[in-house]
Amino acid sequence: MSQNRIKDKSIPYLYSSTIWFKDAPKDVSLDGYRIDNVIHYTDFVISIYFALVVAALIYFIVRYRATNGHKAEYDHGNKRKNVMVTGSLGLLVFFSVDAVIEKMAFQDLREAFWNFPKTENVVRVQVLPQQFAWNFRYAGPDGEFGTNDDIVPSQNHMHVPINTPVVVQIASWDVIHSFYLPNFRIKQDATPGMITALWFQATETGIFDIACAELCGNGHYKMKGYLTVESQDDFEAWLADNAPEIYEEDDWDDWGDEEDDTGVPEDWGWTWKELK
Amino acid sequence: MSSHQASFWTKYIFSEDHKTIGKQFMWLGMFFLFFGGLLAMLIRWQLGYPEQPVPLIGQWMWPGDGGIINPDIYNQMFTMHGTIMIFWAITPLLIGAFGNFVIPLQIGAGDMAFPKLNMISFWTMFLASLVLLSSYLLPTGTAAGGWTSYPPLSSPAGGIPGLGQTIWTVALILMGASTMMGAVNYITTVVRMRAPGMEYFKMPLSIWGLFLASILNAVFVPVIAAGLVMLLLDQTIGTEFFLAGRLASGDPGDPLLFQHVFWIFGHPEVYILILPVWGIVSDLLSVFSRKPAYGYRVTALAMCTIVALSSLVWGHHMYTTGMSPLLGKSFMFLTLLISIPSAMFFLNWLGTLWKGSIHFNTPMLFAIGVIWVFGLGGLTGLYNATVTADIYLHDTMFVVGHFHYTLAASVMFGSFAAIYFWFPRMFGRKLNATLGKIHFWGSFVSLNFVFFNMMVLGYAGHHRRIYNPGEYSFLEPLAGLNEWISIFAFLLGVFQVVFLINMVWSMLKPEKAERNPWKATTLEWTMDFPIPHGNFEKVPIVFHGPHEYSRPDIQDKDWLGQNEPLS
Repeated sequence: MSQNRIKDKSIPYLYSSTIWFKDAPKDVSLDGYRIDNVIHYTDFVISIYFALVVAALIYFIVRYRATNGHKAEYDHGNKRKNVMVTGSLGLLVFFSVDAVIEKMAFQDLREAFWNFPKTENVVRVQVLPQQFAWNFRYAGPDGEFGTNDDIVPSQNHMHVPINTPVVVQIASWDVIHSFYLPNFRIKQDATPGMITALWFQATETGIFDIACAELCGNGHYKMKGYLTVESQDDFEAWLADNAPEIYEEDDWDDWGDEEDDTGVPEDWGWTWKELK
Repeated sequence: MSSHQASFWTKYIFSEDHKTIGKQFMWLGMFFLFFGGLLAMLIRWQLGYPEQPVPLIGQWMWPGDGGIINPDIYNQMFTMHGTIMIFWAITPLLIGAFGNFVIPLQIGAGDMAFPKLNMISFWTMFLASLVLLSSYLLPTGTAAGGWTSYPPLSSPAGGIPGLGQTIWTVALILMGASTMMGAVNYITTVVRMRAPGMEYFKMPLSIWGLFLASILNAVFVPVIAAGLVMLLLDQTIGTEFFLAGRLASGDPGDPLLFQHVFWIFGHPEVYILILPVWGIVSDLLSVFSRKPAYGYRVTALAMCTIVALSSLVWGHHMYTTGMSPLLGKSFMFLTLLISIPSAMFFLNWLGTLWKGSIHFNTPMLFAIGVIWVFGLGGLTGLYNATVTADIYLHDTMFVVGHFHYTLAASVMFGSFAAIYFWFPRMFGRKLNATLGKIHFWGSFVSLNFVFFNMMVLGYAGHHRRIYNPGEYSFLEPLAGLNEWISIFAFLLGVFQVVFLINMVWSMLKPEKAERNPWKATTLEWTMDFPIPHGNFEKVPIVFHGPHEYSRPDIQDKDWLGQNEPLS
């Protein structure tokens, strides 16, 4: 759709949209506001400091331009007093900007991003990106991954219930990818040979983009998935729709033939890694 | 030494004179700067006008695709743009050209400590350039794994077809060899060959910047060289240093190991590129304010502190790899510490202007421009240093905008300031001031529009290295902004042509520059043009620091050369 829009563009973009101050995509997560807050605080303080620098710069180059006809002051600015001034301004910057940001960030990591939910009511998903698609896996009724009741929906489609913590474990089938949810303000690399994790909680229903944020080859730009946030009931109905029929031993051969084109076998997945 | 007999070959091609080698590096760097710039224009075309035929050259370059850049070509373009700009444009220009040209002249040495090694360093770089460019002849094209070339994507297992990626690795190893030769040479020269009286704290800050950059090069280029050799073995003889998971046939290696090795070098690398700029800007602000550089020692020591810290912060490039929380926090803290020394020398720059007598010659315009663009670039680094903000901003156009402010904008402006400043010493003529002003203001406005709005795109979620942003619904509102950025990027390109014209025209014009047109105090302005092989008639003796401007105890002029005794 977007392709077509771009190819027969009758109205040039220049006139079709405003150009200034684009906002971040709508935040639909429990903790995304923390990221927005630390970004906005940083915006605020560095704008002040940059404005001060620019004000000083403009004042100096107007006030002290040579055409005023004055002689420059012979001052090396290396007296103890001068060093104290620059040193304390350096510390002022550190404590008003860096230290505050650091405190916010550490608190957010402790309370949210690195504080994986310990409750029972958690949706667990395994994600296996490949060039150039997303595979998802749910544990199924037995609550165990790597068993034949695991639910593997069609590629690039992930569903989660609203207002429930979702823990995602990520591996990679081939090269490095990065699982990126712009509307949730998070991303996590998928690296071959290791299992990484993130968690989030959706606060609004809808369909949101999943993007690959790490260059993974010529299809990187269209390695796109869809995250559907829905009610608990809809989510359970969707899981039931995607539940595998349990095949007898003989029937597994047919599965294999159909899946050849993606390269990823039907029985991918790993034992859930318990987080400390 | 001035009676040195030289044929055409030894004088212009295999010259051992640091000034000639400096010019050779400059031409090489300029060639690649424009080459990499053209690649940037094509990248911006694709992002501003996705999948539309490239005007003028499209049909000729890619007839098979109807003049449209395809995703393979696009990936090759940004890979080569990054590689070329960092390793083949900025490094030769700042460290190769000005390191070579300026270091012996400013410290009062006859030449580099190892002239022959210097010559070999350039020709190794030249060979590396030919190897890199040869990948354009391959039917499968050049490397396409990004300038970081993370394995497994950059190994045959990762699926980039053809030899391009291997040739990239070989070219970078050769380039690294050239850089190491240069680094040991510069360090030895500065340590051993300073003129009598030229104490460390009497060296111009340009020398401090180049010296510290060379130390970082000598320490960290071997690290990336080792990593690249391992990558080359993975690519050619089937070792598996960086392969794991399904792709590894035996005991697994570790793709993360390459990222660590890459960034242990890669983060100091950004300081390698910016340190010479800091030094040059500090000196130029002093020259054109006719006032001593404010807090000279503090600036020099702040740069030393940053050099030490720069080797401890590489992990901030890897927050999203799943590193341990303890490491993430440590890297964040160490990264933020850099703001203290940075703020100090930054304030010293403003202090130099304060109560100065400011002349707005072209080198000064670019030096003041660096205060602006590096201020923005440095401050926006805070977002990326913050573990939480970086979870969102990592691998987005925000990062691209940020590092273009620090590397592209600051380093380009620093290089231009240096070229405008030392051109009379290199070619005996001054560059045209009017064209210089057009070049400065045109570049300043357009590059700020381009790089600032790249950060806006990134904040709006636009991830990096994507061929067509139109694929994603959340990026659709950004199409207009992307097009505007492209238009300003093309303007930025046009203003560089002004510079090129200025350079060629000024070099050919008959009227010569006077010996010391900027009335600078440093030793490189003490001899007539052309500067002979061996530089100094007799070894200069240094009495003062490098910034003796507007001394109240001398009457007839407002500066005192480093080698002029106070009568």
